[in-house]
Amino acid sequence: MSKKNIIELNQISKNYERKIALSSLSFVVEKGETIALIGPSGAGKTTLLNMLASNFEPSSGEIFIDGRPLSQLTDRKKRAKKIGIIRQQFDLVGQLAVIHNVLAGRLADWGLGKSLLNLFIPQERQAATQALTRVGLPDKMYERTSNLSGGEQQRVALARLLMQKPEIILADEPVASLDPSRAEDILEMLTKIAKEEQQTVIASLHSVEYARKYFSRLIALKNGELFFDLPADQVTNKQLQELYQLKELK
Amino acid sequence: MKKRKFNFMWFSFYAFLLLIGASWYFVIGVEKASLTELFSNENMEYASKFFKGLLGVGEEEIAFLNQESWSDAFTLSIETLQMSIMAIGFSTIVMFLTVIPAARNVADGSMTLSKKWYRWFVFGLIRISYIFSRAIPELVWAMIVIFIFKPGILPGAIALALHNFGILGKLCAEVIEDTDSRPIRNLASSGANPAQILMYGVFPTVLPKFLTYILYRWEVIMRTTIVVGFVGAGGLGQQFKLSMSFFHYTEITLLLICYLILVFIADYISEKSRYFVK
Repeated sequence: MSKKNIIELNQISKNYERKIALSSLSFVVEKGETIALIGPSGAGKTTLLNMLASNFEPSSGEIFIDGRPLSQLTDRKKRAKKIGIIRQQFDLVGQLAVIHNVLAGRLADWGLGKSLLNLFIPQERQAATQALTRVGLPDKMYERTSNLSGGEQQRVALARLLMQKPEIILADEPVASLDPSRAEDILEMLTKIAKEEQQTVIASLHSVEYARKYFSRLIALKNGELFFDLPADQVTNKQLQELYQLKELK
Repeated sequence: MKKRKFNFMWFSFYAFLLLIGASWYFVIGVEKASLTELFSNENMEYASKFFKGLLGVGEEEIAFLNQESWSDAFTLSIETLQMSIMAIGFSTIVMFLTVIPAARNVADGSMTLSKKWYRWFVFGLIRISYIFSRAIPELVWAMIVIFIFKPGILPGAIALALHNFGILGKLCAEVIEDTDSRPIRNLASSGANPAQILMYGVFPTVLPKFLTYILYRWEVIMRTTIVVGFVGAGGLGQQFKLSMSFFHYTEITLLLICYLILVFIADYISEKSRYFVK
């Protein structure tokens, strides 16, 4: 094997009470891959991402990050270096200035004193300016975050990920609340940054079109099971049709 | 036509009518109260005497036209202002020290994403102290405090602070409970520890609302100084009681004007500072 396996899922299952959210899911992700999770609502995409973010543990099976079980990665700092998350908005502190939300990506490395000082005199301003320039918002540095538009806020979240520099980026519906052109803009930026920084991306998406356009590999879930797992250019329309087909009524 | 159902709405409407009817029957039929008696010559005389007194008609010394009385009243107003600022200051400090563990979402660990066994215990203890503090009225607190200290503006401030600490604590703890947890979870996932989450996620969102509550309670405290003044806590309130007992009505007018000015000032300050925070 030339490339390193960064994520390994081994027979993952998750049950809520009696309902099965995910059943014995297994796949391997190589470093640097960009993966789109697709499938109808309720297929288990968010559940999977939440488990990868260690928001909760699988009912059975194990997740390995860099060959080590995720359940052992309990240290906040180390976990932040491995895994970063971007959600569909609402994940920034609206009352803070943009620069503080960007610099929040560095909190894992900062002590209490520096974090406190930063709120009054922004630290590492150069790095923050650089990150904001890369996402195209260098002039919004001192603006209140809640005054920004949805697309701009998502860019700020990307800039924060640039500061955090995780090896894996988990994106839960990153463009769900954006209009098509903003959505493409964000996805292009996300995948471009990931390529430049050699990061691995797993993003859940509603749009198959975007998934095929911006990601290298598509993992489709249906009713908590793996439906297909293929490189983006090998997915056929017939498979997609089957994936989103509603169950026929008896 | 729609069938009218006898539901709770109609029941309460009829109960309301019945209550009004019964009350008026009691007032007029049983108690034999009459409206004309309220406006009897005797009462009119008292009222006109009082209001004429307030306006200074036929008085020899009119306090609100006297420069010396004004300067005395000014000193008392400053004292009242001091008392109110001290009171809100004390209660704000104690509120800040206790408010974080007093929020339900901090106690159950969902806010800072860290669970500790003693959290609920501390939560209960602080919440009980809040209830205790605000269950006792300022006047009672003042009587207790003045029993211990010498009369003056400090015990007055302490009494007011004791009552308002519980109110501020409860209001502000609820503000923390209402904060959006999504940005907080995200801060945690980018590696922030509980203290950093408080600094970056909680305080920026709650402080503007805290300020609104603090300024509002300050305005209330300013008015309540008159109540604690009655039991000898100093300031305009004490003078008010003295003037009242000596029937110096024009002084009362003067003191009321002072109160009016103080409340205007408080109103102006809170309006301006809220504007700046936004």
